[in-house]
Amino acid sequence: MSLLTLDSVCKSFGSTRIINDVSLDIEAGEKHAIIGPNGAGKSTLFHLISGRYNVSSGTIGFQGKAIQNLPPYEIARRGIARSFQVTNIFPRMSVFENIRCALLWSEGYRYSFWKLLGRQKPLNDKAFDILEQIGLSDKAQLPSGELAYAQQRALELGVAVASGAELIMLDEPVAGMSNSEAENAVALIRRITEGKTLIMVEHDMNIVFDIADRISVLVYGEIIATDTPENIRGNARVQEAYLGEVPSDA
Amino acid sequence: MKKQLPVWLGFALALIILPQIFDSVLGISILNQMTIWIIFALSYNMLLGQGGMLSFGHAVYFGLGGFMSVHALNLIADEIIVFSITLIPLVGGAVGLIAAVFIGSFSTRKSGTVFAMISLGIGELIVASSLIFADFFGGEAGVTGDRTYGPPFFGIEFLQDAEVYYLGAFWLFVATLFMYLFTQTPAGRMANAVRDNPERAEFIGYSTRRVRFISFCAAGLFAGVAGGLFAINYEFITEENLNALTSGRVLLMAYIGGLGFFIGPIVGAVILTLMNSLLSNYSEMWMLYLGIMFLLTVLFLPRGFAGFIMMHQTAWRNRRLGMLILPYLITAIPVSLFLAGFVGLVELSHKGDDILPFFGLSLGADSMLSWGILLTLAGAGALGVKLSRPRLNAAWAAANTVAKDADGDAR
Repeated sequence: MSLLTLDSVCKSFGSTRIINDVSLDIEAGEKHAIIGPNGAGKSTLFHLISGRYNVSSGTIGFQGKAIQNLPPYEIARRGIARSFQVTNIFPRMSVFENIRCALLWSEGYRYSFWKLLGRQKPLNDKAFDILEQIGLSDKAQLPSGELAYAQQRALELGVAVASGAELIMLDEPVAGMSNSEAENAVALIRRITEGKTLIMVEHDMNIVFDIADRISVLVYGEIIATDTPENIRGNARVQEAYLGEVPSDA
Repeated sequence: MKKQLPVWLGFALALIILPQIFDSVLGISILNQMTIWIIFALSYNMLLGQGGMLSFGHAVYFGLGGFMSVHALNLIADEIIVFSITLIPLVGGAVGLIAAVFIGSFSTRKSGTVFAMISLGIGELIVASSLIFADFFGGEAGVTGDRTYGPPFFGIEFLQDAEVYYLGAFWLFVATLFMYLFTQTPAGRMANAVRDNPERAEFIGYSTRRVRFISFCAAGLFAGVAGGLFAINYEFITEENLNALTSGRVLLMAYIGGLGFFIGPIVGAVILTLMNSLLSNYSEMWMLYLGIMFLLTVLFLPRGFAGFIMMHQTAWRNRRLGMLILPYLITAIPVSLFLAGFVGLVELSHKGDDILPFFGLSLGADSMLSWGILLTLAGAGALGVKLSRPRLNAAWAAANTVAKDADGDAR
């Protein structure tokens, strides 16, 4: 059974249809990339899955249960974590606090106001582990708003994966990075999504073809192809949509 | 927590010693007011500073807690219930909490402007009903009680203000400790997260509404505790204690003190209580000065007085704080001149035919010379500030940047 199933999902804003009849199955453990020209609806699709938007029609199932139109926190609790295209962290809190907050729910702390965080050794150790993984342990006490851009992106990833979610959704994780920064970020993404299911929106085709097991191409709100990287590269419709932008030798 | 033990011990010690130092009737009276306002301001900061909720109606929980506490005092005096006076703040707290649970259940659905408007509306609603339900609120006259009729607490009957002070100081310590500990819990920390970025908070599994609701209830509880202390201290409460004026005052306290720091509201409550009690003896215009101080804080010290103190951390850490003392003193001279001139102008303008004593001079509103002296003083002060600013700025830059270089060398 698929981990995530989209069935005839549509989304309209007013009379404008942004997502049109999208159906998609994501297998557990799969690394799936969604590509497409600007304005194709990639981010909207992410927002629908993660609960920021409600669907206009259609269903989204996760681990066999319908999740469409649930509030974001319900979806997050079920094991879908996401990052954002524009860095979306807690800027006035320290780097460490950002990660620790991202851990709280999955570690079972819920809304408790009778437990002191300073005494939760396993929780704090885990937060430091994640900081180590994303390479920010020496910045732990810095207000996260003061981090450099690439570091904020790394923290963004850390916040997304901290909960140990089964499905991780990354929205343009390397956008705006230099080549070497992007290389580091890709290595980081590989490391922290190991054994997990990944859905990624990304414009950099080298990275997409590098990471993805399967690729879906979204054009004007419709998925025109879902296939392995090799087949996508050879797909005539995709080439047409991209006007030959798909690199032939990636 | 262990690291902060000296701070808490110092706090407790200060609370014990202060009434020995300021042992006049006025001194004790001001200290009593401070215990009340500090708790109230800290509770307000749970909303605004910690949770990002701007409330214009926080006095509702303070006032309701206070009213119920005065009624409790009367029930104790009439021997209808047996209850210790010392525990009255718990009555206030319970009432504040119940009111907050009820009102917060819908007001915390939203944040930002909508939340602020709801808080304003609720405040007006309660004020209006206080005039309607005269049995409970006592109409415009308010309700009076008597704290001395209860069973004595180890022989203490709370006849004297000093005895009331120690009761207030105890509750201040307990309330402050619990409010601080709240910031160290998952619920308290998520309140910061929701304040910073409500959207992301939802995507890490938290309902922003529930997070806000919990902070709101805690803030209502501690506002009620402060209201209970108010009842014990004044034995008297009116509609004024739950209206927008009181809500505004606690907002000013938290803001002037500094929203971003736990001790900010404490600083603000101390400053405003002092101004309220002392300045009001000297000038009818003290509200104007308060307003100007608020304006200046918003414009020039957006992080409040506590923020201003914390600004010196870098200089302190690198042992450069001493460099700032002389420039500060030099700038303080023209600042004082300007303030003296400005205050003189304000006072003179509403003196009418009375004489304004001013550093040995007798100034009159009908004398051009009097106006001239004050204008010159203010003008000279302003000019002096302008002239001494560059030197202060340079010293500030030196005190803070040298540190960075030293840091770089160390690496």
